[in-house]
Amino acid sequence: MRPVASRLRDIGLLAAALLLFAGLAHPLRAESAVSRDDIVKQLTGLDAAPDLDIAALRDQVLKRSQSRSKNEPPPQKRPPIAPELTKLPTFNVNIQFDTDTPIVLPDSYETLGRIADALVQSTMLPYGFLIIGHIEANGKRENNALLSQRRADAIRDVLVNTFKISSKRVQSVGLGEEQLLDAAHPTAAVNQQIQIVTVAKLPEQSEQPSTASPASPAKKSAKKKR
Amino acid sequence: MVRGGFILFVVALAAPSLAVAETISFGDAAALLAKSCAAEITANCRGVNFDANRLKECLSRNQDALSQQCKADYLRSLDAIQKRVAARTAVANACAREIVKLCAGSTKETSKSVPCLTTAHGVSRNCLQAMDDAGYR
Repeated sequence: MRPVASRLRDIGLLAAALLLFAGLAHPLRAESAVSRDDIVKQLTGLDAAPDLDIAALRDQVLKRSQSRSKNEPPPQKRPPIAPELTKLPTFNVNIQFDTDTPIVLPDSYETLGRIADALVQSTMLPYGFLIIGHIEANGKRENNALLSQRRADAIRDVLVNTFKISSKRVQSVGLGEEQLLDAAHPTAAVNQQIQIVTVAKLPEQSEQPSTASPASPAKKSAKKKR
Repeated sequence: MVRGGFILFVVALAAPSLAVAETISFGDAAALLAKSCAAEITANCRGVNFDANRLKECLSRNQDALSQQCKADYLRSLDAIQKRVAARTAVANACAREIVKLCAGSTKETSKSVPCLTTAHGVSRNCLQAMDDAGYR
């Protein structure tokens, strides 16, 4: 009895090892929603970097979401709080969060990985990005502003801490229900999407070459004089 | 000194199999983690975000509750992410000549030279491989 059982176990182990090996050889078998190159394509084409004051925008969102004025328009009629952001290269994406928390569910790990892959791709390296959180117009307006900020921060943290994207390249802001993606349907799920927006072109070359360049014209002119 | 030694070490590790990609993409690594450990993460690490260190800590603390598949894959996928990140530092070394000669850049700020490196002519195979491993191309 024993030898048979152990032989069976050996076969099982061998099969497991083979499966594992196959898994190693083809890690990409799961059907993914987005590809890195799709994301890159959508984030490409920043014409002119806008002048953004993210801290001020956060304040604005919070204040507007707290407004108790009787003249407050219903969600469908609220003007977008940061219309300048809608004109920039943008990638809209569904990220699954645990209810009322900024915790990303495992279903969305791959998507975050693809986003990180896109931000590391060479043509994206000279750019800075804004992660925008949105919440559909359900529940307390102020809470939605806060939750969207926490979610945008969480995505930023994953990109910076797990995938080591330079913190200088990613900022985050939560717009709550102040800039609905589908204003005609304020409670539609599409209003929960996260947006990645290209917002900045990083300075071309920094200290190293720029300290060297003032020196080189001097050298050239010195040569000319001789 | 220490850093130089580390780079040499990385290069030594990378040397034997230059023809094969040494790393997998972040997306693939993250997909592997989710595929093998989604249930375990939901059951044992609720409230832990997708933070490599915290997830590793949580999953290893809950070893006994992990499926065989998850146990086999979680370190592998988290290490794969780390390897991909570490591969960036190897580019400075593998592409030192190209960065300076072809792209007029500095190896202290490799990432600034990468857009140039990926389109430049006359880039060594070694350098191309290093950029693939870092996910730049």
